Amino acid sequence: MLKNYFKIAFRNLLKNKVYSFINISGLAIGMAATMLIGLWIYDELSYNKHFENYDTIAQIYQNESNNGDTETSEAIPRPLEFALREAHNDNFKHIVMSSWNFPWYLKYDEKNINFLGSFMQEGVIDMLSLKIINGKPNGLKDLNSIMLAESTAEKLFGNEDPIGKILKLSDSFEMEVTSVYEDIPDNNSFSDLEFVMPWKFYITWQDWIREAEDHWGNNSFQAFVQINDNTTMEAVTNKIINVKKERSPEEAEFNPEIFLAPMKDWHLRDTYENGVQSGGRIENVWLFGIIGTFVLLLACINFINLSTARSEKRATEVGIRKSIGSHRSQLIFQFLSESFLIVLLSFVLAFGIVLLSLDGFNNLAAKQIVFPWTNYQFWIASILFIFITAILAGSYPALYLSSFNPVAVLKGTFKAGKYSALPRKILVVAQFTVSIALIIGTIVVINQIQYSKDRPVGYDKDSLIQVPVMSAEFSGKKDFMRMQLIESGAVVEMATTSSPTTNVWSNRSGYDWEGKPEGFQEDLAWTAVSYEFVETLGLNLIEGRGFSREFASDSTAVILNETAVKYMNIENPIGKLIRDSDYNDPDPAPPLKIVGVIQDYIVQSPYEPVKQAMYVFDAYENESYYNLRMNPDRSISDNLETIEAVFKRNFPNVPFSYQFVDEEYGAKFRAEERVASLARIFTILAIFISCLGLFGLASFIAEQRTKEIGVRKVLGASVKQLWILLSKDFITLVIIALVIGSPIAYYMMSQWLQKFSYRTDISWTVFALACSGAVLISLLTVSYQAIKAATANPVNSLRTE
Amino acid sequence: MNILLSLNEATRAVNSGSNRINLLEDITLNVNEGEFISLMGPSGSGKSTLLNCIGMLDSFTDGGYTFLGQPVHSMKEKNRSKLYKDYIGFVFQAYHLIDELNVWENIETPLLYKNIKSSERKALVGDMLDRFNIVGKKDLFPRQLSGGQQQLVGIARALIGKPKLILADEPTGNLNSKQSREIMELFSQLNKEGVTIIQATHSEANAAYGSRIINLLDGKIVP
Repeated sequence: MLKNYFKIAFRNLLKNKVYSFINISGLAIGMAATMLIGLWIYDELSYNKHFENYDTIAQIYQNESNNGDTETSEAIPRPLEFALREAHNDNFKHIVMSSWNFPWYLKYDEKNINFLGSFMQEGVIDMLSLKIINGKPNGLKDLNSIMLAESTAEKLFGNEDPIGKILKLSDSFEMEVTSVYEDIPDNNSFSDLEFVMPWKFYITWQDWIREAEDHWGNNSFQAFVQINDNTTMEAVTNKIINVKKERSPEEAEFNPEIFLAPMKDWHLRDTYENGVQSGGRIENVWLFGIIGTFVLLLACINFINLSTARSEKRATEVGIRKSIGSHRSQLIFQFLSESFLIVLLSFVLAFGIVLLSLDGFNNLAAKQIVFPWTNYQFWIASILFIFITAILAGSYPALYLSSFNPVAVLKGTFKAGKYSALPRKILVVAQFTVSIALIIGTIVVINQIQYSKDRPVGYDKDSLIQVPVMSAEFSGKKDFMRMQLIESGAVVEMATTSSPTTNVWSNRSGYDWEGKPEGFQEDLAWTAVSYEFVETLGLNLIEGRGFSREFASDSTAVILNETAVKYMNIENPIGKLIRDSDYNDPDPAPPLKIVGVIQDYIVQSPYEPVKQAMYVFDAYENESYYNLRMNPDRSISDNLETIEAVFKRNFPNVPFSYQFVDEEYGAKFRAEERVASLARIFTILAIFISCLGLFGLASFIAEQRTKEIGVRKVLGASVKQLWILLSKDFITLVIIALVIGSPIAYYMMSQWLQKFSYRTDISWTVFALACSGAVLISLLTVSYQAIKAATANPVNSLRTE
Repeated sequence: MNILLSLNEATRAVNSGSNRINLLEDITLNVNEGEFISLMGPSGSGKSTLLNCIGMLDSFTDGGYTFLGQPVHSMKEKNRSKLYKDYIGFVFQAYHLIDELNVWENIETPLLYKNIKSSERKALVGDMLDRFNIVGKKDLFPRQLSGGQQQLVGIARALIGKPKLILADEPTGNLNSKQSREIMELFSQLNKEGVTIIQATHSEANAAYGSRIINLLDGKIVP
């Protein structure tokens, strides 16, 4: 029976090559898009699933309130560890204090390579189930020990056995390799943990870390925990939420709340708004899930429309089969098996498309998705996918076709009713509604990115590079280096900063100034900078001046940005003093004198307003970056070569590394650009599939109306009149879709734009562009068939009767 | 003689706008097994409707219809379909072969719906091809055959399920006179072998092959 059905289906496919091509290729493209999106979603959802203790690992987060705004951060103070261990230890299997994962130079023999690594407590080995492949099971016991990831060991030691070897950290500390652990695979947190060193080394390493031991206000550390099996994240959070408030009366004014962020949320739900979890990448998962479903539905609609449009051709077969004993259910089954066959062929094609495009897709989506050949779940999902698609595409045609009355059909009086085309029209409208909404959405995303890119940055980011301060050797050399670099001709100006130009690593409070409102809790972005900061970055001074070597008093000077002046409510700022709140102490820090006000420049998000910032003169060698303004009269490669030579001469042991500031700035748009480029591709696919369907329908209609066209032509209709006649029905549908799709897209994109403070308007030109584009594309699609039919010789079409 | 089917004041009405029109009105008729009945009457007199109703493709709206002692009018769809699959074969004026299937497959199709095993199907179809002398054409598709040959295949398909009753709606309407004669002789032969036949026809000559002629006019049997 099934064989008979497949035979018919197959012969039908061969007989109607155009329809078969449209059906199969449309479905294949739709299925391929859905499969890629499916793989992407699976990858996103399986983030961190590598860890055995996935369900019980959490990071400790902190909410702090400032003037009614609550900020959420994973940075916590050191004494929190002791409080948790003392009062709440029974909730945890492990509490692991950790530094930030940071680049360090590891030196062995001639090799001095930069790796990312952290200082962590011993519990990390069991918590993350690190697989020790060489050396001691606990490699963090001794103060000067270091555990290496397999890839790190390979890069440093090649085939040598690394265990027991001595490495030099930052060219100054000797560390003994105690064990090697298997790399944590991509698509997991800690996948860039290239080495681990003991926390106890870290806390003796620098004064500020030592002193942070009892500083509840110094939020500069991280803590990961594994909770006990018999408790829940919520329960533990409830117990520890007030621990900081209770223990530190001075910090209580910020209403600090300590809570657990479960590992499952780190990747997908990492955005907090006013202290409350508010989404994150999960929104993209939903977005692309919906887009994938729609693309598949569009392809299914093509199948439905073409099958039902051609129903008159299949009607006779239905009548005959019914008259020789077929039950309706058998016919339904026949048509379903036919769609199953087509879906199966499409799947094979889609499979090939996915295999071919996976690399490109990975590139675009910044993923390392590997085709899951050996994952049985994938194959089960694929089979389900085929069945679901076959049922989505095939059930309506099956029900419709099997419903024909054999008596009417066989008598030859069967004509599809007046309203039989209505569902088809509705489906075409649905297709184009989706396509148009996608077009508008994509244009808005692209506009928003462009709008933010066009936003004035406030400094000159071209030919500006930053060199990270990677070694203690740099200490005290900045003026000397500046002179040498300028003399070399490659650099016109240089300044150091404690944070990169494109970020802020420190926020401070606890100041007092004239005009400070009562009870105001300030929160200022804080950066320590050297003399030629304003000149190097090319900042615009509004008032006052930059730091200058001519004023000895500038060691206690400060520059504010415009927003800070407004925020702090300072009138006539130049010359005013900003004091540390501790000025009543016996040994107060000297007050800071405002010497200049600069125009705001974008440091953090290009989508948000610039934060109030203070730039203090760096009197304590807080520099993290050398910022170099390269000589515009020389080529960049020349400049870089010269600069590298200068660094090599002065710091022969430190590998030279640098970043272009404009590239760092560009990276801020990457997440949105990724969304935009994926959305663009799926939009193009959606339009393509919709037009493919339209093309099929148009050719069918033209064929059906051949005789009518012939008669009209004989009666004197021009090609143009016939073209309008044949095209206008379709264009009407597209215009209805425009009317429905535009407001939907407008609403959704307005919602999307809400998450940016600095956002573009959705102007009427977006709609004009999308609408004219959609009409034009569909007109082109339909016109081919219309003109072909209109220019055919009527003698031929009439003779066949 | 056993009664194959009987109609008792059977009526088929349709609504046309606000009017109710009787396509068939108060048809009372007994058909014995082994009869060869010719339905005659002008176009629109209800011949085809009567065949379709007897053949269960359509149903009477009123009156009684008994087939092999079973009341068709009060039967569930499923049972009716079984009765029909087992005992009735249709032959059409326009042959109505499935274009995408070849001769062999067209003849085989009814057997598929009766869930007959593959080996048995092969034997049955083979016999039928033999009997009609169309073995050489078994791989051809309908469009490759002449009208007469197509109708031969149509009859073969109607017979493959070993029906007790063949309903033929102007089986020779599209054929020339030579082909017509051949087909009618085939029917005559089948009838002698025990198959009951009801044919609708315009042709006196064809009607003469039958054992009884029933005249229809405006949906009623005229004596």
